[in-house]
Amino acid sequence: MSLKIAITPEKNNGKRISITGSLDSNTAPELQTRIDAEINGSVSTTIIDFRNLDFLSSAGLRVIFKTKKVMDNCNGKFLLVNLQPQIKKVFEIIKALDGMNVFKDQEEMDDYLTAMQNKVKEAE
Amino acid sequence: MISRPLNRQTLIVQNKISDRDKLHEFLIEYVESHDIPGDTYNDLRLVIEEAFTNIINHAYTDNKSHTVTVELNNTESAIVITFTDTGIEFDPLTDCGELDEKADHGEGGMGMHIIKSLTDSQEYHRINQHNVFTVTKLYTKKNRTPE
Repeated sequence: MSLKIAITPEKNNGKRISITGSLDSNTAPELQTRIDAEINGSVSTTIIDFRNLDFLSSAGLRVIFKTKKVMDNCNGKFLLVNLQPQIKKVFEIIKALDGMNVFKDQEEMDDYLTAMQNKVKEAE
Repeated sequence: MISRPLNRQTLIVQNKISDRDKLHEFLIEYVESHDIPGDTYNDLRLVIEEAFTNIINHAYTDNKSHTVTVELNNTESAIVITFTDTGIEFDPLTDCGELDEKADHGEGGMGMHIIKSLTDSQEYHRINQHNVFTVTKLYTKKNRTPE
């Protein structure tokens, strides 16, 4: 099983990482390399899109957590969207969804981002 | 309970991560031929991935090629997976560490925690210089016809 990775720009200097296939011990290093090259302090929001991911192991989870740490350290946002049931189950097993921004779909995530932007505008 | 020998199938692979794909194909063929439901397959796939990765990462300290034997067996209500390797003594039930939820989930324990969560029992034995790790998962066969 292989992993396809697409990193695309999002609004306000964000990046979406769409992963397809299997994120496991065989493919996790590949994702880590791509993320190391593209996700840094200049990125305001990182979105991991799980829509087409059908398998996730602990090796893949470590890449996700490491990326969250990078975003947390630079006060960026880290969002997870479109988790399929079998993927969500893995997060739930290790009780890792607490403290994560998880959205069932694009619409729910857009609502969140709009609310966050309005909050920033109100503060200005 | 002694399982019928027909249900027992064995695959021997090398201790390299790319052989995980062979294990995956082995599991797919097994679940398809034994009416094992999809959600059970998803769980077993993850269990095999985590256990095999543990063996690769911990059982061997040299860079040589070694064999790992994986046996699948089932009864009407349980699937048993046995991993056997010839590496150094390594008990994954105690040597992987506990999952530390406050430690960013970064190291250790996570794979074993997943295995324990997705199976109903786990055993480790050191037998004749072999690590033998066995997990059992209860399940309900799909499309069961009334007896």
